[in-house]
Amino acid sequence: MLTPLTVVIVALSVAAIVLAAIYALRDRLFDDIILGTLALLELAVLVQAVVSVVRVGALHAERATFVAYGLSLVVVAPFVAWTAIKEKSRWSMAAVAVGTFTVAVMTGRMQQIWGLNA
Amino acid sequence: MPDAAPRHTSNGPGRVIVALYAVMALAATGRSSVQIASYFSRAPLAYVLSAVAALFYIIATIAVAKGGPAMVRLALVSCSVEAVGVLAVGIVSYAIPALFPDKTVWSHFGAGYGYVPLVLPFLGLWWMRRFSGVRGGTAG
Repeated sequence: MLTPLTVVIVALSVAAIVLAAIYALRDRLFDDIILGTLALLELAVLVQAVVSVVRVGALHAERATFVAYGLSLVVVAPFVAWTAIKEKSRWSMAAVAVGTFTVAVMTGRMQQIWGLNA
Repeated sequence: MPDAAPRHTSNGPGRVIVALYAVMALAATGRSSVQIASYFSRAPLAYVLSAVAALFYIIATIAVAKGGPAMVRLALVSCSVEAVGVLAVGIVSYAIPALFPDKTVWSHFGAGYGYVPLVLPFLGLWWMRRFSGVRGGTAG
């Protein structure tokens, strides 16, 4: 795991949640800005997943959980984008918030496991 | 400005319910496969319950996303099972902790998952009930 990348992932997740809240309040639909934020988030998550799986040998405990989290995280942002694009109401933004919050929490949990071993 | 009444189970609030169920399905499936594959003997009951929870979360995700009369019934059954499951396992995990040497998705009323497992089935029941008894999964 790369700690700076964890910071980037959490920051992008928070940015997506804030954006989603603003969009929901203003009754704006899913657009390129939200899509771009989710795409950046996915890129960071992908890099983190590859690095984590490659370096998993450094872990002593909770190795399986760590890998499961890393691989699961990869599908969250694309799924959220896919499901939110189809919804033409402010509820799409709630779906974006749920997904990106999940990414932030699961990345935090991975960092925690990584920290136990480092 | 009220949103137009959703005509399909996966529209409006349904979109969020699908997202929450998908996340829980992913989390429970991941957790139970790791638990069962790596150290099943440590807490067999807890791990089997995690797998059962995962199964019902997957069913609920698909049922709410697809809609239609059969899927509405399926979702209502699935949400009911989850509601009973999280309440029963929640109570037992406090009353007889020895039965649960390790956590499941439903132990302590889903505290490990921000109590989402406790709230979600009731949210699902509330939402899907609007679509029960109507044809074609459309609210009349």
